[in-house]
Amino acid sequence: MTAYFMHFFKKIKIIVVLVAILLLVAMANKFTLYDDNKILIKDVMISKNNNLYNVSFIQELKLDDLIKEAIDKGIPLVFKITLKIVKLNKISPDNTIKKEVRYYRIKYKALRKIYRIFDINEEKYEYKNLDQAIQKMLKVENLEFSFVDDGMNYELWLNVSLDKKKLPKPLQVNFFNKTWSMNSGNSIHKMEN
Amino acid sequence: MKYIITIVAFIGITLLILLAKAISNSELIPGDSFRILLGLNILFICSLIGLIAVQIFRLLQSVKKEITGSRLTLRLVLSFALMGIVPVLIVYLVSVNFLTKSIESWFDVKVESALEGGLTLGQKSIDILMRDIELKGKSIAYSIGNSEPDQRDSLLTDLRVKFGIQDAVIFDQDSMIIGVSSEKNNLIPPIPNTEDIERGGQGFFGKIEEVSGEQIYLKTFTPIISKSAMSKKLILQLTQPIPPSISNLALSVESVYDEYQQLTYSRNSLKIIYILTLTLVLLLALLSSVAASFVISRRFSAPLAMLAGATKEISKGNYKKIIPEQGKDEIGVLISSFNSMTSQLGEATRSSERDRERLEDARTFLETILAHLTTGVIVLNGKKVIQLNNISASRMLTNKKITMNNEPMKEVIARNLLFKPLYDFVELYIDGNKNNKEVSQEFKLNKDKQERTIMLQITPLIGNKGKSYVLVIDDISEVTQAQRHSAWGEVARRLAHEIKNPLTPIQLSAERIQHKFKDKLSKEDSDILERSTNTIVNQVNALKIMVNEFAEYARPPKIQKDTIRIDNLIEEVIDLYEINDIIKVKKDKNIPIIYADQNKLRQVIINLLENSQDALKEIKNPKIKIFIKKKVNEVELIVEDNGRGIPDEIIGRIFEPYVTSKKTGTGLGLAVVYKIIEEHEGKINIDRIKNSGTRVTITLKAEGK
Repeated sequence: MTAYFMHFFKKIKIIVVLVAILLLVAMANKFTLYDDNKILIKDVMISKNNNLYNVSFIQELKLDDLIKEAIDKGIPLVFKITLKIVKLNKISPDNTIKKEVRYYRIKYKALRKIYRIFDINEEKYEYKNLDQAIQKMLKVENLEFSFVDDGMNYELWLNVSLDKKKLPKPLQVNFFNKTWSMNSGNSIHKMEN
Repeated sequence: MKYIITIVAFIGITLLILLAKAISNSELIPGDSFRILLGLNILFICSLIGLIAVQIFRLLQSVKKEITGSRLTLRLVLSFALMGIVPVLIVYLVSVNFLTKSIESWFDVKVESALEGGLTLGQKSIDILMRDIELKGKSIAYSIGNSEPDQRDSLLTDLRVKFGIQDAVIFDQDSMIIGVSSEKNNLIPPIPNTEDIERGGQGFFGKIEEVSGEQIYLKTFTPIISKSAMSKKLILQLTQPIPPSISNLALSVESVYDEYQQLTYSRNSLKIIYILTLTLVLLLALLSSVAASFVISRRFSAPLAMLAGATKEISKGNYKKIIPEQGKDEIGVLISSFNSMTSQLGEATRSSERDRERLEDARTFLETILAHLTTGVIVLNGKKVIQLNNISASRMLTNKKITMNNEPMKEVIARNLLFKPLYDFVELYIDGNKNNKEVSQEFKLNKDKQERTIMLQITPLIGNKGKSYVLVIDDISEVTQAQRHSAWGEVARRLAHEIKNPLTPIQLSAERIQHKFKDKLSKEDSDILERSTNTIVNQVNALKIMVNEFAEYARPPKIQKDTIRIDNLIEEVIDLYEINDIIKVKKDKNIPIIYADQNKLRQVIINLLENSQDALKEIKNPKIKIFIKKKVNEVELIVEDNGRGIPDEIIGRIFEPYVTSKKTGTGLGLAVVYKIIEEHEGKINIDRIKNSGTRVTITLKAEGK
């Protein structure tokens, strides 16, 4: 019996090793993607005009001092808004029908001592004060997308996150710093027909 | 394995190069890929650690099992690993220290102050230009406000040109353009946003704008205070580019300042990345060197392990072990020499083995000869202890087929005193002064009431282990008996020849004398003559019978063999006798046919039956028993009677001529029987039955055997 198990173990040991490696990678990934609900989406308004949808929402951004310091040091912060239309299925898994990605960003211009913001429609705004600039970023308006509603069950999934790919490389690969992990999680809303 | 090592080495080098490239050129590999690259490197390191762990485990197992070469491999691995680890560790520590200090040195206070100074200088320059445009704008606004509406356009153009402004636009509060003047003719400037116009309506407001990050523009909004209280509130917008020399410089300083600030901010992350990368490189290098040390150690130790293994094989006697030759270096030469030595050793051993086999054959041959010798051979040392003896010797001295090695001969003889005279002679010889000469002596011993003639020969041997003696003991009784039979045969032949010839003339002469003088003599004389001549004739006849018997005994061996059934022959002979009622025959089933001379065998049976018949005279209840027995490849014939038996004093010589217990007879009957059986290569034995009577046992070979 022992010999059988040893033989079996020898056969599967490569699989065991691979599974262990995958688990380690997953744990490492989980560790690095850790976020602290620093972005909160609220007051989502969805309006519809024919097949054109317009989404607006307010977000709370908990920017800690390190991030504010980073902004003051001229590091650009790019936030990514991901909007997904998900079809709800009773038996099979839900599937994404449409996906829209928009960005808004803030950058401090040292020469002029201003905070420059580009909203989701690439409109430019400049502020002398960081709080004013942040206040401007909190309100997301006129996120428009087209979608033909066929009367089925759909959900709108909203997600706002700090796009770490746009950060300077040293900050991107610093696995041990959780400051830059900002993700709202999915804010899910039923789409009215 | 070779391919795996090559592939692993290739992957390791590729990962190292990619990592180094990623560090030196951040644009080449984006952040995500860098993370993947780091992950791959870590995975590769883990794989290497696993591989090395497995190798170490196997090596330790080999050492535990005492597999040849494993200890040497372990020692080499440790040496190579230490040789790699120590310098790499030193380089690593120095590099980390150097790197940390280098990164810190980038963020010198002086550099930061210089950059801030540059930036401030740019800001001050722009502020001065802004102040200049502010004054110009206020002056133009004052002039426009005090002019008539129909003169505004020309005045605006004149003042713009006069003050060297690029664009001048007059808006009302509803963002409607009232007047325009521009260096670029007919170009309508973009309408500012409402917020700017509102702010401009409240008082002077200036802003700086960048176009494509290359050119900086100064834009001012100045309210125009009209002399007419009824007229609308107007705002003057002036747009003036900053001179390219100042603009480029300011933007360049801003860009560098930004980068510097970003670097300052990510200083710790930068250190972590560099140290992490350096650590990965170190681990890759270290583990690769350890992994390589396994390969190199095995390469080095493999031929030596083979040599050690081969040495063990040779120690076990396997001289066929040849190690594959490897290169022409010292190890190659060593292996070549070893193979040559093994080959020579093998040849020498084979030669020695052949000699040993020859010696063994010779010894076996000698032992076989000794074992099959009917002559007893004994080797004694100086203390008269038996060193060697053959089967015949032990059979003679102990009646058993046992070895008597290391037994004092005295003890052996004590168990069988028959040979005591021999031992006395041996003792006398060995202890005497003339024991360097070969001697021989004949002994007459009485064994089982039979006289045996034993010849003893002693030969001294001088060897490395001292003096020893070879005793050759030969029972020559048969030879002497045969010699006696031969002598008797010669005597009989001569007697027959010399006596037989004159007998017939004697008999004829006696009969003629009787016939011629019988009637001429007186009755008394005639009776004397008749009695005398009858006596002569009778004696001659008796002599003839005796001579015929001698002739029969002395005849040359001439037999005519044929297949016969001995049981039939016996029954045929018995039928001739009147006393056949006292003869009882008992025979086994399926008596084999024998190949013999029927007439001679008939004579044998007749002689034996006549002897028995003679012995049974005056015996009450006489009996003769004949047994015919089937033996392995032989037929045994036993003739028993309950007669007087043979006296002990003659039984040993009963087969010799003239040896008889009967008052009448020539004593040639059993001699003839013995001769006939001998001619048939059979055996005959005669012995007394316990109470009374005689038993004659004859053994003859079955046909074809």
